[in-house]
Amino acid sequence: MAVVPAVDDLDTAGYFRAAADGHLTVRRCTACDAVLHVPVAYCRHCGGFEGRWAEVSPTGRIYSYTVVTHQVHPDFPVPYTVILVELDDLPEVRLVGRLDGRPDVFIGQPVVAEFAPLSDDAALPTWRLRERRT
Amino acid sequence: MPSDVSHRDRCAVAGIGATDYSRNSGRSDLTLATQAALAAVADAGLEVTDIDGIVRCDMDTVRPNDLAHALGIPELTFWAEAGPGGTAPPAMIGLAVAAIMSGQATTVLCFRELNGRSGQRYGLARSADDVVGGAGSYDEFFAPYGLLTPGHIFALMAQRHMHEFGTRPEHLGQIALTCRARANANPAAQMHDRPLTMDEYLSARTIAEPLRLFDFCLETDGAAAVIVTSTERARDLRQQPVAIRAVAQSSIPDPQPGVQFPVLMRESITSLPGQAVARTLYRRAGLGPEDIDVAQLYDCFTITVLMQLEDWGFCKKGEGGPFAAGGALDLGGAVPINTGGGHLSEGYIHGMNHVLEGVRQIRGHSTSQVPGAENCLVTATPLPPGSALILGRV
Repeated sequence: MAVVPAVDDLDTAGYFRAAADGHLTVRRCTACDAVLHVPVAYCRHCGGFEGRWAEVSPTGRIYSYTVVTHQVHPDFPVPYTVILVELDDLPEVRLVGRLDGRPDVFIGQPVVAEFAPLSDDAALPTWRLRERRT
Repeated sequence: MPSDVSHRDRCAVAGIGATDYSRNSGRSDLTLATQAALAAVADAGLEVTDIDGIVRCDMDTVRPNDLAHALGIPELTFWAEAGPGGTAPPAMIGLAVAAIMSGQATTVLCFRELNGRSGQRYGLARSADDVVGGAGSYDEFFAPYGLLTPGHIFALMAQRHMHEFGTRPEHLGQIALTCRARANANPAAQMHDRPLTMDEYLSARTIAEPLRLFDFCLETDGAAAVIVTSTERARDLRQQPVAIRAVAQSSIPDPQPGVQFPVLMRESITSLPGQAVARTLYRRAGLGPEDIDVAQLYDCFTITVLMQLEDWGFCKKGEGGPFAAGGALDLGGAVPINTGGGHLSEGYIHGMNHVLEGVRQIRGHSTSQVPGAENCLVTATPLPPGSALILGRV
């Protein structure tokens, strides 16, 4: 993986740290439990600045997808499939994944998260198909 | 109080100017901006020494002082910038109106230039960026997965629109063909000599499925500029004034941060901020979609146009595809669009060439003129919060 995420942003680093421990998390306000995704420090719902990385089930469904067939970056040979995933626990939260090639995917298809190590204390959540279309 | 002060028809476009649109201009960014500015000043019948304000797009490389120096402007009393990116041009006109109505400037130059093909291409990812994101960009949640360009975002939107509403490739194709037909009538358009058929559209290679080659706009070298002044003063200048009937910027609730990728986290990815901009703009203009004679709709991709047809009230939500395929966008249709060819086929000057084409329509000088056009909508509502304006006859 040549394109690696910055894992030192003060508002987002905790997401990648939790992934290193095998946890998929979303940012939630400590005071009112609002989901703050993409992660921000300030809660626009209650005014709090205290947040936590709340674990969620590492499962979701494909909300949309695209098969990229025109290469725009040397580290991403085509074809590959970008998936937009809505979480089973929190459908309002979406995360992105990439599948090699052009597997037979459909909107609503179940996927499960895995964790690709970036360093000792950071990992990148990735997604794979949970079951085949029947 | 804002609601008591109306800018309706108070300012006007007095001049427009553009360079040629090409794949390799061979000129610097500053030279392109200078040439477009000089053309706009000459069109208005003004001198560069009359300009006292400059507004730019936040993604432009040319700064106001760069252009003031190059042109020999003796004193700027106002400068500003709008953005992000392609949402800028109508908002830039709005900043000019604000400056003029508040007495901060009298004659404002709004410009956009880019060597978008021979220089930095927005359709390519910058491969030097091995560590991506951070610093509030949120790219760390997207780029590591190969989600790298605006085309990838709009492909995800198009796929979802097809899923929810049954939109078909042929619907998108009709938008590409419509813009191409208008370009074929416009000698300044990059695709002037290149007709396009539905068979060619459908058989073209894909870029990011479901989007094909001709769903993507051009990457263009060029510049476009506009001179804004008070309508009263514009009456004494060379051209028939084109009134800025109204202009609006609007955001939606939870607009998402960043420049582009986080918009995929919005509650709906099958509509754009155009709905909010439309509400504000129509109210300020005292007009509705039924009053729009011709529209220049921001067309970085065909799906962007389709969603805006719905957002702007030209058809119901989800019916943009059949609406487009039914001939509504053609000359003589309900809402003729992108009469210079648009970003898809004239050139991609990041929204600004749409403003120029809108002015031509109201002057009656378009190469695809809508007879008697009195109100032309110009939108710049792609991904983040957007802007739009209505140009009209005085």
